[in-house]
Amino acid sequence: MKVYKCFLATLLMITLTISAQEVKFEEYDLSNGMHVILHKDNTAPVVTTSVMYHVGAKDENPERTGFAHFFEHLLFEGTKNIPKGEWFTIVTSNGGSNNANTTDDRTYYYEVFPSNNVELGLWMESERLLHPVINQDGVDTQNEVVKEEKRLRVDNSPYGRFLEVIKVNMFKKHPYKGTTIGKMEHLDAATLEEFQTFNKKFYVPNNAVLVVAGDIDIAEVKVMIENYFGPIPRGEDIVRNFPKEDPITEPMRAKAYDPNIQIPAVMAAYRTPSFKERDSYVLSMISTYLSDGKTSKLYKKIVDDKKMALQVGAIDFSQEDYGTYILYGLPLGDVSLDDLVVEMDEEIAKLQSELISERDYQKIQNKFENDFVNSNSSIEGIANSLARYYMLYGDVNLINNEIDIYRSITREEIKTVANKYLNANQRLVLEYLPESDKE
Amino acid sequence: MKTKIYLLIAVFFMSLGVNAQIDRSQQPKPGPAPKISLEKPQEFELKNGLKILVVENHKLPRVSFNIAFDREPVLEGEKAGVTALLGAMLANGTTTISKDDFNEEIDFLGARLNVGFGGGSANSLTKYSNRILELLADATMNPLLTEEEFQKEKEKLIEGIKSDAKSVDAIARRTGSALAYGKHHPYGEFISEESVEAVTLADVKAYFEKYFTPNNTYLVIIGDVNTKSVVKLAKKYFKNWKKAATMTTEIVAPNANPEALEINFIDMPNAVQSNISLTSNVKLKMSDPDYHAVLIANKILGGGFNSYLNMNLREEHGYTYGARSSVGTDKYISRFRAGAAVRNEVTDSAVVETIKEIKRFQTEPVEADALANAKAKYVGDFVLALESPSTIAQYAINTKVNELPEDFYATYLEKINAVTIEDVNRVANLYFTADKARIVLVGKGSDVVENLEKTGIPINYFDTFANPVEKPEFSKPIPEGVTAASVLKNYIAAIGGLEAVNAVSSVMIAADVTIEGMPFKPTAVMKTMTPNMSSMEMSIEGMGTVMKQKFNGSEGYAEQQGMQQPMSEKELAEKAKEKGLFPETYLDANTLTLVSLTAIDGVDFYKLKVDEDSYRYYDAATGLLVRTEKSEETQGQTITSVQDKSDYREVNGVLFPYVQKITAGPQVIDMTASKIIVNEGVSAEDFK
Repeated sequence: MKVYKCFLATLLMITLTISAQEVKFEEYDLSNGMHVILHKDNTAPVVTTSVMYHVGAKDENPERTGFAHFFEHLLFEGTKNIPKGEWFTIVTSNGGSNNANTTDDRTYYYEVFPSNNVELGLWMESERLLHPVINQDGVDTQNEVVKEEKRLRVDNSPYGRFLEVIKVNMFKKHPYKGTTIGKMEHLDAATLEEFQTFNKKFYVPNNAVLVVAGDIDIAEVKVMIENYFGPIPRGEDIVRNFPKEDPITEPMRAKAYDPNIQIPAVMAAYRTPSFKERDSYVLSMISTYLSDGKTSKLYKKIVDDKKMALQVGAIDFSQEDYGTYILYGLPLGDVSLDDLVVEMDEEIAKLQSELISERDYQKIQNKFENDFVNSNSSIEGIANSLARYYMLYGDVNLINNEIDIYRSITREEIKTVANKYLNANQRLVLEYLPESDKE
Repeated sequence: MKTKIYLLIAVFFMSLGVNAQIDRSQQPKPGPAPKISLEKPQEFELKNGLKILVVENHKLPRVSFNIAFDREPVLEGEKAGVTALLGAMLANGTTTISKDDFNEEIDFLGARLNVGFGGGSANSLTKYSNRILELLADATMNPLLTEEEFQKEKEKLIEGIKSDAKSVDAIARRTGSALAYGKHHPYGEFISEESVEAVTLADVKAYFEKYFTPNNTYLVIIGDVNTKSVVKLAKKYFKNWKKAATMTTEIVAPNANPEALEINFIDMPNAVQSNISLTSNVKLKMSDPDYHAVLIANKILGGGFNSYLNMNLREEHGYTYGARSSVGTDKYISRFRAGAAVRNEVTDSAVVETIKEIKRFQTEPVEADALANAKAKYVGDFVLALESPSTIAQYAINTKVNELPEDFYATYLEKINAVTIEDVNRVANLYFTADKARIVLVGKGSDVVENLEKTGIPINYFDTFANPVEKPEFSKPIPEGVTAASVLKNYIAAIGGLEAVNAVSSVMIAADVTIEGMPFKPTAVMKTMTPNMSSMEMSIEGMGTVMKQKFNGSEGYAEQQGMQQPMSEKELAEKAKEKGLFPETYLDANTLTLVSLTAIDGVDFYKLKVDEDSYRYYDAATGLLVRTEKSEETQGQTITSVQDKSDYREVNGVLFPYVQKITAGPQVIDMTASKIIVNEGVSAEDFK
C-alpha cells in the first residue's frame, strides 16, 4: 500500500513539474500573412509586444552590407503618426522599456509595458510596419550613431574583431562571410532610394511574426491586433537562395591583430550545420561538455590543472543556414598558441574515440534541464523564444519540447557527431594577436 | 459548453473590431492602471544574527539562494587585491570536500554556485535545492583556502590587470574613481601588479576570518520552496556560524571636489573613442527626503534615451552611441556622473555640449511633459520589476541595509508622483554640477588635446594609474623609413637642394618687428655669413639702434642702450658648434633623435632632438623647418623659447621663412621680413 502511495506522489510531482513549465500559446495568421502568437500569463501586470522580421545581414546586397542592422536604428526614427524623436518618449512616458537587435538571420523589436498599455505597444509596432518615415535626415542621424556603435563594440573593444575574422575565413560564398554591423563605406554610399527599397521588400507582414505575451485578455488582444495589423497590405513573397559553401577539406590558418589586447588568443573554428539540424543540438551538448563549468573538460585540464591558459572555452555560434563551432584559449605566461591547440585537440580526440562517461552524460542532461527551466523565466524571454522558434526553427512547440531532443541524444551520437565535424582538416586555426606583435 | 461561449464572444469582438474604425493617428490611451500587490518576504533571524528572508514562488520548479553581507567600506591599502583574491578562491571546495569533488557535484547537479567577497549565490532545480543550500553554507563558512589556489588566482589576477592595460573603459573606470574619491579611499583605491604581489595567503585568511561573519548578513531564499521546511534546513546548516565582535573602521575623507571645472586627461594612444566622464562627489542616501526628486531629475538630465544629454549628444549631433548621467546613493559618499564614449574628433565638442546641457538643466525649469514622462518611467519600472520574484527580497534588504522607513516601498510611487518642477530644479542645483567637477577624460591625446585646450578648461594630466604627470608628448607612429637623417635630407631638398644651399655664403634680412604689449615698432637687420658669423641690430624710429648682437667667428657681445656685455663661455661654445648657415647641412644625424610625429594645430610634424634642451620641428608634408625650440636657464628659471617659421619664399633658388614668431615665456615677438638678400651687401666688417 505504501509503495502505491509513494508512486502516486511521484506521479503527482511529475505532472506538477511539467504543468509548471509548460508555456501555453495560441497561434494564427492574419489575412495579410502576418503570423501571430499569443501567450497569456497573468502572474505579474506586465506585457511584452514584439515583432520579429525575417531579415538579417545575410539578406543584404553584398555591396550594401550593414543594411539590416541599420534598419534596426532607422525604424525608431518615427512614423506617419509618431514624430521623429518621439518613439522613446512614448515608451518611457508610459512606463515601458524597449529595444531591438539584429543578427545575420533576423531583426527583432520589442516593448515591455505595464499591462494596461498593451494597445499602445501594438499601435507602435503596427506603425513601424505600416508607416515608417525613411528620409535623408533620419538616415544621416543614424549613420553617425551606427558608426559610433561600431567603434564602441568592435574597434575599441578587446577581442572585438575575432568573429569578423573567423567569418571571413570560414565562409567564401555564403553571406555569413560578412559582419552584421557591415561596412561603413557601404552605408555611406547608400542612397535614400536603396533604403526605401529594402524596407518595401523585407518589412512586410508576410515576413513577420507578432508575439503578445503576459498579462492579457486573449479576446480583447485579438481584436486590437486585427485593428492595427489587419489593414497592412501584404508584400511580395521573399525568395531566398543563398549560395552553398563547399565543404572545408584542408586545414586553414590565419592571423589577425588587435590594438586593444596584450594577451594573444588562439581559436579553432569548425563549420557546423544549421541550428535546426539534430547534429547542431549534439554539438551544443559537446560545447557544454568541453567548456561549461569548472569541471568541464577543457577548463579543468587547461586552466585548472595545467595552468596553461587564462581562459578557454567553446562557442557554439549556430545560425539558420550554417553554424560555426569555435574553441578558444588565452595562454598564460610562456605557453604558445600551438600548445593550447594541442591540448584542445587531445580532448576532441577522446570524444571521437571513446564514449563519454555515464556520469558526464547525466551531468550534461542536468545542465540542459536547468537551462530549460530558466529560459522561460521572464515574459520578454518567452516572447523572444516563441518568435524565434516559429520564424527560424519552424516549430513553436520547441519552447516546450526542445528539452526532449536533448534527452533523446545518446552518448554514441555525441561520438559520431564529434567525428563528423570536429576534424583538423575541417577547420581554421586563427592566431589573434596584439597589434604590437605585428612585424 | 464553456469553450463555445468563449468562441462566440471572441467572434463577436472580432466583428466589432472589423467594423469599428480605429483612428490610428491617435496614440492609444492606457487602460485602467493594473493592480499592484507588494508582498513582503517572511523574515527569520538565527541566534548568531543571520537574517533569513523567504519568498515563495512556485511558477517554475527552481530555487535561488543569496547571501548578502552588509559591511562598511573596506580599505585594502597596500594590499589592494586581497578581497578579489579571497573572492576568487571561494567556492572551490571546503575543509571537508576537496575542490574537485565540490566542483564536480555542483556541475553534476546542473546548478550554479558562486561565493565572492560581497556575498554568495546558488540556484538549482527544486529537486536538488536542499543539497545546494548545504553546499552554499559549507562554502561560505568553511572554505578551502590553499597556497596552490592562492598562487593560481594571483597569477590570473595579474594577467587580468595586464589585459586591462589597454582597455580604455577599464582605465576610465579605474582613474575615474581614483581621481574622484582619492586613491586612499575605499571607493577610489584600485589593484595593481605591485599591490597584488604584496598579498600573502595569510592576509587572505585574515580577511576571511574578519569579514565572513553572520552579523549583518542576509540569506535570501526565493522560489519553489516550503517556507517552514526551508528555514528549518537553513538553521541546520548555518547555526554553527560564529558571530564576530562588531567592528568599526575609520574611513578617510574622500577627495574634495575641485573649486572650478577641470579636465583630468589620461592619454591612451590606442583609443579610437574618448571616454568622457564628468564627475563630482555627492552625499545622497536613499533615506534622504530629496531621494525621489534626485532620481527624477537624473532621469530627465541623462537617465535614459530621451534625456537632455542623449538627445543632444546622440540624436542631435551623432557624437556617441549613448550619453548618460547617473547619481549614486550611498551611506557614505557617491558620485554624480555625466558622460559618454565619443569618437576622437568630437571630443571637445562633446565636452562643451555636456556642460551646456547640465547648465541648461540647472537654470531652465523642466517641461511639465518631461517631468510627467520621467515619473511614468519610474512607475513603469517599478511595475515591470514586480515580474521578478527577487524584487521583493531586494526591497526588504534595501529597507534594512539603508535604514529606510518601513513604508518606503509602499509609498514609493506616491512620493515619485509628488515631485514638482521646482523640486527638480532645486535638487539639480544641489546635487549636480558642471562647475565644481572634474571631467575625467581617457583618450588619444595626439588627436584630441589640441582642441580640448581651446575649450579654455584647465587640463591636468594623469597616467593610467591616476598619478599626475607633465603634459605628455602626443605622437603618432613614425612611418617606416623615416629617420633623423631622412628628415634633414628632406628639408634640404625642400628648400632648394644641397647645391643651391651650399652656394649661399651670406644672408641679410631686414624685418619689421612687433613686440606684443609694446607701443613702438622696431625694425631689425640680421646678417649671417659662413661659417658662423652673425649680427643683429634693432632700431626704433627716433631712437636709433637700441640693441646689437654680434659674433665674428671667435668672439662676440651683446649691446643694449650703450651697455656692452661680452658673450659667456657657454654662448661662445654654442657658437663654435655652428659650421654653416643651415644647421641641416652639418648636423650629424647620428647624434640626433627623431622623437615623434606630432600634430600642432592640426598639422603633422617630425620632432628632432638636437641636444638636451633643443628641438627642431619639420612639417611632415612639406619637409620645411617650422619650429625650433630651446630651453635655457636664466636666473634660476628655465625659459623655453620657441621660434615658429612660416611664409617660405624663394631667394636665389633657396626658400627662406619670411615670418618668424618668437615666444619666450610671456614675451611674443613677431618678425616679418621686408627684404631678404643672398650673397650681397654683407662683409666681415658687419660682425665686429
